[in-house]
Amino acid sequence: MATSTAPKAAPAAAEKTASPKPGKQKLSKRRRREALSFYLFISPWIIGFLVFLLGPMIASIYYSLTDWDSFTPPRWVGFENYTKLLTDDPVFWTALWNTLYYAAISVPLGLVIGLWLANLLNKQVRARKLFRTLIYLPTLIPLVATAMIFRMVLAPNGPINDFLGLFGVSGPNWLYDGPWVKPALILMSTWGAGAATVLLLAAMKGIPRELYEAAEVDGASGMRQFWSITLPHLTPIIFFNLIMGLIAAFQVFSQVYILVAKGKNPAGYDAAQTMVPFLFDQAFSYYHMGYASAISWLLFLVILVFTVIAFRTTRRWVFYETEVK
Amino acid sequence: MVATLATPVSEKQPGKERRSRKRQDAPAVRAFRATPFTYGTLLIVAAILTTPLVFVGSIALSSDATVNNGAFTVIPREFHWDNFSRVFGTELPVGTFLLNSVLISLFSVAGQVLSSGLVGYAFARLRAPGKNTMFLIVIATMMIPTQITMIPQFILFRDLGWVNTFLPLIVPNFFSNAFNVFLVRQFVSRLPSQLDEAAMMDGLGFFGIYRRIMFPMLRPVLIAIGIFTLTHTWGDFMGPLIYLNDESKMPLALGVQYITATSQAGQAPPWNLVMVGSILLALPMIIVYYIGQKYLYEMDISGGSAGVK
Repeated sequence: MATSTAPKAAPAAAEKTASPKPGKQKLSKRRRREALSFYLFISPWIIGFLVFLLGPMIASIYYSLTDWDSFTPPRWVGFENYTKLLTDDPVFWTALWNTLYYAAISVPLGLVIGLWLANLLNKQVRARKLFRTLIYLPTLIPLVATAMIFRMVLAPNGPINDFLGLFGVSGPNWLYDGPWVKPALILMSTWGAGAATVLLLAAMKGIPRELYEAAEVDGASGMRQFWSITLPHLTPIIFFNLIMGLIAAFQVFSQVYILVAKGKNPAGYDAAQTMVPFLFDQAFSYYHMGYASAISWLLFLVILVFTVIAFRTTRRWVFYETEVK
Repeated sequence: MVATLATPVSEKQPGKERRSRKRQDAPAVRAFRATPFTYGTLLIVAAILTTPLVFVGSIALSSDATVNNGAFTVIPREFHWDNFSRVFGTELPVGTFLLNSVLISLFSVAGQVLSSGLVGYAFARLRAPGKNTMFLIVIATMMIPTQITMIPQFILFRDLGWVNTFLPLIVPNFFSNAFNVFLVRQFVSRLPSQLDEAAMMDGLGFFGIYRRIMFPMLRPVLIAIGIFTLTHTWGDFMGPLIYLNDESKMPLALGVQYITATSQAGQAPPWNLVMVGSILLALPMIIVYYIGQKYLYEMDISGGSAGVK
């Protein structure tokens, strides 16, 4: 073991001794040229960072403290936008609740379905490639096209309600019936559960087969093998998907904007308004730039809180193979 | 430890051994045994997931009369293939939408590939004071939701007079993107450094090394970045919605929605043509994915967990 790690460690050690201690020694001419090249090479990122990220972030903080229609000079209002949003704007709380509702159901549901399908595909099935393709296909379709498709699928006389009709259930007008709009959006999101399936399936193939063989000898059932071997090995990927899924779900926009259009679908609009469409409306329909900037920071805060919570709980349920070695 | 090292099996790397073994060769353990129930479930799921796609095809092939009655069926009953040529006629500017999508996407892909490759290489190989701090900033910027910068960016581009042009959608791509920089850096770190050292002995400068040695070797990761950028730009809805007002400037993703939103009150949108537009929007992405998927797998997207460890 020692012989195999020695060659790897050697260059690293050599590099360390060769690199001058910062501040104590002047950089050699070659190192200075290298550093200069580095800054030159990453200059696209530096410029982009300053012009398209850091500058706008600072501007956004300033805007959020003003009342500004973007045409006349901004008027300083301090934290008024924030206090108004939090205490005096029921639409904000509705949008926040709808966003949480959507994220809290669609993300775990998508993961559970994705995991379930991956487990089925991980068995020795014929035509696995065909099934995998069909399950993954919906995730390749651009969101706008998906929204158009579901506008028809969820229509009062669309295939879903036809199917429900077979059982004597008369389906709701999904996109126009207040209580059914959010379930409709969640239904649409589960169509894309295949994205998680492909990642999970790839991870399942990496689980050592010896573990299953040992469990088989011990008489563990297929179900038991799934819960005790497959699932624990997948927790890092599930965790990664959960975080990414939550962040994306909090920023849901296109589906909501297209399916519950403001002017044409007032009932749906009230029932399914989420944070980003609310922000978009304030900024680009009413030109409440200051107010909209404040919304964007509150959205960031919500995302941050949920990300931190997710990371804090990892120790309890995420299993990293490297930790037990 | 010493005893196990002597056996021939453990000389192989565990990862390689795992990958080379065909699961099909061994008798199935219970967890992998497919039952009729497995097939039944898979067939039902496949049918459910495919139904919307068949339905779209059916609507795209239906006549205007069927559209006005709203009498669509999942299984196509009529086959008006001329709908696919009609969208390029005078009724709807789908041809223009498509061309705009192609232009915006191609320039965006070029921008990301050129800039992210260079920046990622520099972060992986060149040494400079402050590099690690800067890389931490790169990672941290991935946390910032785009909504924060959306409004100030709009003000910036409006003051530059770029509203209603493709520039706000294209130009930021030439300044790289944190995630892509991260991908390139990880990829370069895995390449042997003897290559650049040998090239330096031969008198190549850092840019020469990048252009002659690295750029060709970065092909898989750059193709993956190209595919990510393409799918993102091609499907982007909010960007064009903010910046483009003229119908003649709209990309397909916005154009398709625009057709349905602007149909006269009381009149159904031309659903058959809208669905043709949706198919034209979706098909290139499906094709690109199936051509490019070997590069995506080479990039080991499955190792996504490594990023959050």
